[in-house]
Amino acid sequence: MPADSKSSQPELRRSVTPWGSFSWGYSDVGADIFVGLGLVLAWAAGASNVAFLFAGVVYVCIGLAYTELAATYPVAGGGQYFVMRGLGDIFGFIAGWAVLLDFTIDVTLFAWTSVDYSSQLLPALVNSVHPWLHFGVVLGLVIGLCLLNVIGVRESTTFNGVVSALDVISETCILCFGFLFAFRPQLLIHTMQTHWPSPYELMLGTSLAIISFVGLESISQAAQETQRPASIIPRTSVSLILTILIFALAYSNLALGFQPWHPITDAAGHHLQFWQIFPNNPDNQGKAVALLAAQVPYYGAFAALYVPVLGAILLLISSNSGVFGSSRIAYAMSTSNLLPSIFQRVHRKFRTPMISIVFFSIIAVIELLFAAAPALFPAVSSLYTRFFHGENGLDFLADLYAFGAATSYSFVFLGLIGLRLTDPLSPRKFKIPLNVPMRFRGERVEFPIVAVIGFIGIFSILMFTLFTHPLGRIFGPSWLLLGLLFYLVYRRYRRLPILGSQPRNWRTAQTEILRRAGELELMDEYVANVKASDALRAGQGT
Amino acid sequence: MAWLFVRGLLAVAIIVCGLVILVRMAEALPQGRFAVLPGIVLGGAMIALGVHRLSLIARVRGMM
Repeated sequence: MPADSKSSQPELRRSVTPWGSFSWGYSDVGADIFVGLGLVLAWAAGASNVAFLFAGVVYVCIGLAYTELAATYPVAGGGQYFVMRGLGDIFGFIAGWAVLLDFTIDVTLFAWTSVDYSSQLLPALVNSVHPWLHFGVVLGLVIGLCLLNVIGVRESTTFNGVVSALDVISETCILCFGFLFAFRPQLLIHTMQTHWPSPYELMLGTSLAIISFVGLESISQAAQETQRPASIIPRTSVSLILTILIFALAYSNLALGFQPWHPITDAAGHHLQFWQIFPNNPDNQGKAVALLAAQVPYYGAFAALYVPVLGAILLLISSNSGVFGSSRIAYAMSTSNLLPSIFQRVHRKFRTPMISIVFFSIIAVIELLFAAAPALFPAVSSLYTRFFHGENGLDFLADLYAFGAATSYSFVFLGLIGLRLTDPLSPRKFKIPLNVPMRFRGERVEFPIVAVIGFIGIFSILMFTLFTHPLGRIFGPSWLLLGLLFYLVYRRYRRLPILGSQPRNWRTAQTEILRRAGELELMDEYVANVKASDALRAGQGT
Repeated sequence: MAWLFVRGLLAVAIIVCGLVILVRMAEALPQGRFAVLPGIVLGGAMIALGVHRLSLIARVRGMM
C-alpha cells in the first residue's frame, strides 16, 4: 500500500526471505520463456537468439531500474507508484493502466499455455483438434483462479519456492544435456546465415521476445513484504535478472544449433531442423520448452514425462499472479485516487478485494473470447485473416502482452529519471551504473545514462509492436484511450486535478515507507539529508 | 557451512560453464563473426552470475 493511505489500514507482514524474494520473481518471470520461446522461433527464425539478445539487454536495464526503485521505495504499487511519484498522477495512471492490461492478459495467456503444455501428455487438449474443449478448460482455469482469490487462497511462498527450485534444476539439466550432446556451433552459424528473417519478421520477433522478460512488477511486490528490502532486493534481483537472461539466451542459441535426438520430418518426409516445427503451428508454439526437452539426448526420455507437468504448474502460478497482481495494483491505484474507491472494497467475510478480482477476471475472460474466437467460429477466423494478417489466439494475447509491457516499462524509465532529479535526498542503497553528476534546482543529482539507453530500447520495442502487430496496434491503444477517458471523468467527478497531481507530502511518506520497511538507518539518513538540504536553502535565502 | 560450500561449488560451476561457452564461441568466430555475439553474451552473463553468487557467499562468510 502506498504510504499516503490511512495508517489505520492493516500492513502486509514482512516475512519473505531472500530465497522467497527470488522465487517470487522467478515464478513470475521464469515462466515467460515457456511462452516466448516458440513464438520468437516462429517469427525470428535464424535470428531468434539476436531477438532475445536485444530484448534481454533492454530487460537488464529494466531489471536494474526496478531494483533501484523497489529498494528505494519498497511499496507494492510497483511501476504506477514510481511513475506517479516521478512524473505525476496522470502518467502514473497510464503506467498502472498498462500494467493492469498486462496482468489481465497474464491471466489468460498463461492459463492458455498451461493447457497447451498439458496437451503434450493429454492430446485431447490440443487447440486445433478440440478448440471447444481447449477453450472450456482455459475458461474453467480462469474462473477457478478468480474464485480461489476471492476466498483468499493463494499459493504459499514455500510452494513457489519449491516449484521455482525444481524448475531451475530442470532447466539447468535440459540445457546442460542439450549443450553437451546436441549443440553444434557450426549448425547455429549455418542456421543464422541461411535463415535470417526479413526486417519485418525480425522486428516482430524482437517485440515478442520482450514477453519472455515480463513480470518485474513482482520485484516491487516482493519488496513490500521483505524485511530490510533495501539490502535484500538488490542481491536477489541481480541473481534473478542474470538467471532469466541466461535461460533465454541459452534456449534460443540451443534451439538454433540443436541436433534433435529423434529425426523430425515434415509431411513429405523431409528432415527439419528443430526450430522449423514452430512457424505456422500455434499448437507447437504454445509448448516449445516441452518439445525441446523431449528432444534432448538421454535426458529427454525422462524430461518428456515431467516437463509438460512442471511447465503447466509454473504457468498456472504465473496466471494466478495475474489475478492477484491486478487486484493489488488496482487497490494501490485506488488509494492514490487514480481509480475509484470501489476497487479498495474488501469482502466482509473473506477480507479480499472481491470487486477488483472479479472485475479484472471478467476482462481476462473477454480477452479469452477474442483470442479463442478464430478457432471456435470459422466466420471470425476469415475476419481475422482478412483484417489482421490471420493472427491466431496466442498471437492476439502475445501482441497485447508486449504492448502493455513496453508501455509501462517506457514510463518506468522516465519515472526513474524524474525521481533522480526531483528526489535526490532519498538514500539509494542500490543505483544503476553509469551516472552523470549534475545540479538540478540547486541540488546535486546523478543523471542515469542506463535509463536513457533502456528507454530508447524499450520505446523501439513499443514501436516494433505497433508496427508489426495488427491486433496489438488496435486493441492496445484502445485500452489506454478507454482508461484515460474513464480517468478524466472520475477525476472531474471527484474534483481532483485532471492533468495535474494531487498535493502530497512525499517527505513524510518516504519517512513512513522506510520506517515500515525496517530500514531505520536509511530513515535516519533521509531525515538528515532533508534537514541539511533545508538548512542550506535557508542559508542561501538569507 | 556445508550449504555455503555447495553454493560456492555451484557458483564456480556456473563460471566454468560460462568460460566453456566463451571458448566454444571463440572457436567459431572465424566462420560466424556477428553470429557468435549472443553466445558470447550468454557466456559473459554466466560468468557475471557466478561472480555475483561468489561475492554474496564471501559477504555471508565475512558476517559469520
